[in-house]
Amino acid sequence: MNERKIVNVPVNRVEGDLQVRVETEDGVVREAWSSGTMYRGFERILAGRGALDGLVITPRVCGICSTAHLMAAAAALDGICGARPPADAVRARNLCLMTEQIQSDLRHTFLMFTADFCNAAYRSSSLYGEALERYEPFKGSAVRETVEETKKVLEILGILGGQWPHSSYMVPGGITGTPRTADLLQCMTTLTHFRRWYENRVLGCSLERWAEVASLGDLENWLEERESHGERELGFFVRFARDIGLDRTGVAHDRFLCYGSLPLPEGTAVSPLGPAFPDGSRSLVPAGFSRGAGVEPFDEAKIAEHVAYSWFEDYEGGLHPSRGETLPYACGQEGGKYSWAKAPRYDGLPAETGPLAEWVVAGIPLFVDLVAKGGATVFARQLARLARPAVWIPAMETWLREITGEGTFYEPAKGDLEGNGAGLVHGARGALGHWVGIRNGKIEHYQIVTPTTWNASPRDGNDVRGPWEEALVGVEAGDADNPVRLGHVIRSFDACMVCTVHTVRGRLAQRFSPGGGT
Amino acid sequence: MPKTLYWLHCGGCGGDSMSLLNAESPDILELLEMLDIQILNHPSLSNDTSREHKELIGAILEGERPLDFLCVEGSIIRGPGGTGMYDTLDGKPRKDLVARMVQKARWVLAVGTCAGFGGIGSDGEVEATGLQFHKRERGGFLGEAFSSGSGLPVINLAGCPCHGNVVASTLTALASGSPLPLNEYQMPLDWYGMLVHQGCTRNEYHEYQIEEHNFGEKGCLFFHLGCQGPLAYGPCNKVLWNRRSSKTRVGVPCFGCTRPDFPQPHPFFATRNIEGIPLELPDGVDRAHYLAYKGMAAAAAPERLKKRKTWL
Repeated sequence: MNERKIVNVPVNRVEGDLQVRVETEDGVVREAWSSGTMYRGFERILAGRGALDGLVITPRVCGICSTAHLMAAAAALDGICGARPPADAVRARNLCLMTEQIQSDLRHTFLMFTADFCNAAYRSSSLYGEALERYEPFKGSAVRETVEETKKVLEILGILGGQWPHSSYMVPGGITGTPRTADLLQCMTTLTHFRRWYENRVLGCSLERWAEVASLGDLENWLEERESHGERELGFFVRFARDIGLDRTGVAHDRFLCYGSLPLPEGTAVSPLGPAFPDGSRSLVPAGFSRGAGVEPFDEAKIAEHVAYSWFEDYEGGLHPSRGETLPYACGQEGGKYSWAKAPRYDGLPAETGPLAEWVVAGIPLFVDLVAKGGATVFARQLARLARPAVWIPAMETWLREITGEGTFYEPAKGDLEGNGAGLVHGARGALGHWVGIRNGKIEHYQIVTPTTWNASPRDGNDVRGPWEEALVGVEAGDADNPVRLGHVIRSFDACMVCTVHTVRGRLAQRFSPGGGT
Repeated sequence: MPKTLYWLHCGGCGGDSMSLLNAESPDILELLEMLDIQILNHPSLSNDTSREHKELIGAILEGERPLDFLCVEGSIIRGPGGTGMYDTLDGKPRKDLVARMVQKARWVLAVGTCAGFGGIGSDGEVEATGLQFHKRERGGFLGEAFSSGSGLPVINLAGCPCHGNVVASTLTALASGSPLPLNEYQMPLDWYGMLVHQGCTRNEYHEYQIEEHNFGEKGCLFFHLGCQGPLAYGPCNKVLWNRRSSKTRVGVPCFGCTRPDFPQPHPFFATRNIEGIPLELPDGVDRAHYLAYKGMAAAAAPERLKKRKTWL
């Protein structure tokens, strides 16, 4: 029939604002363009501010991953002044990041992602009635339990960091607080309560039993083994997602980027999931880059940002985030530019990042198998997210036990806060980098590349699509007023648009109009 | 007939919504049921199709669907050059939708410092401003004269983010027809009628002038580390964060995020001073008396505090 259409889709539940334009042929996506539609101007806000101010301002890039930004900002400053946070400070920082991720992974899954399982398009599924009971916004059982339990687990961040969201307790050299044994025991009981809920209500089995699921075949056996496995939240998610074909849709380039995350403190009993960094240091999640099979060592110098299709003045190829000023260039659709996001590339290639990328790079067998058999589908990405607390909780318990409550949490650096540094961490959504330059006690430049910048990337100078643009190609768009399947694909990346559109530099004089009306 | 609530996300980070999800006892979903408030739309939580959402907005603007609460999170972005095209919805400036929606609302709540006063981006080319204030100046986006259907001006729930309990209790007060006295910045006095300092567990150190220069210590952070607790009005040490604590209790100085001019341009973590005494003194305190008091306080400090012997 060859009917071609352009569909403009405003996408919500992506922590901010996103406009996606797709060209369909006979209802299937042939081309996709992803636009961030709001600017906030963070790098400009930071230039000229005090050297420590990134610790306060950058968490405000994002309301759901402020701890990740704080960690990146503190890591960059540690690098600049040569600070070495004591082992217990490393543990405390890690615990805070992991707690935030647990909250985010669950809120994303049950408040933002599964809301689409209630869509009228799925009325004919035999599981639809149950999906409504579990996932209806504001009312569903999974929705209500998630609000309750994520709220409780965040008390760990209250104890260690004072408040969540938006605190600044990570400073160069460690953390500001001095948690004692009583505080740490309260963190432990809070975490144990969360573990019990997660095992009972999400997994329907113990963490140990879940850890034995090492392949797609094991997952099938696990589902059959006991009624609770199939009936609790993770099992039901698996069944519904597969019923509507999310395990056969949404594959991008199958390239995965991980900066490494959660440095291992000296003397810890927690084992790393992968090899050491070139300098011998280790982290729980290793750094690496995977082209689908096998993992290559990560080289930070291979990161470059392209602007060919972004509203900035052109330059050839890509530039490393620590170099160069760029000037916004609002020219409407001239030259095909269509997004405020730049296009980050690794070794010239687009790459997706997030929990699935972490597990592929770390070699977690279940996810290596899922990707090997079907690629990085919507199902694989969201399962990677929902199952992440199962990997974090044992490490968190070990670290809580290891913190002595008498130890030090802060060791000032010997060097000055002057020069350049980079903080590369993994937030809930993946690879996050802050590149910072400080001169005469003031911020000279501050560049942030967020995980969603990688995932939401527009095309680059070689006209290669970004990850979720690529993932949308071949997807059934369905009804133009209700393109629910496009939403699944985008949300499987756990988009955080407020993070992506933080950027603006220089002066911006012209009007622009993003791709078309509705 | 339930009361209706529409949540509009403008130039912000979404932190106020995340904070609202942490509201305590009862949690926000249960509270909304108790108050019989129906959320018409929330951008992070609702699953209307884009057509349904457009129809909803149309019905509100046409007056077919009454709107009780309009909650605005994030600043009004007016840039570049006043066009508002830095924050668009369906290709049009979002600020235009804000201007129309406020005309239909019985109550307008600015949730967070960005929505109330401009906050992050209020000095930059995104031209961020608050609904009825630009920092300390009356007016903002809607102008001084604006009042909502109830006759109240914009109610400012400051904070970066706003504490979830503050939003919850403000909705409770309005829904139940209870009084809601406001201060000069239109913030409810129940939550902004006290200083962050009032309730900080380090206050005895403050009393006896035991002031820290470095991170990781137990004493007061006012004199050297930039704490704005004695200067900022807010509930952080009245109703704790995440049921547990506050920044100042764990040694993070208050950054004054409820103050209309947040973020201030001078560096954080440092106190501007005149010969060692803070430049900004607590509200209403005069310098001569303050100097005398601090000198005597330091002299009176007991050994247990000088040795930082508290289990806080």
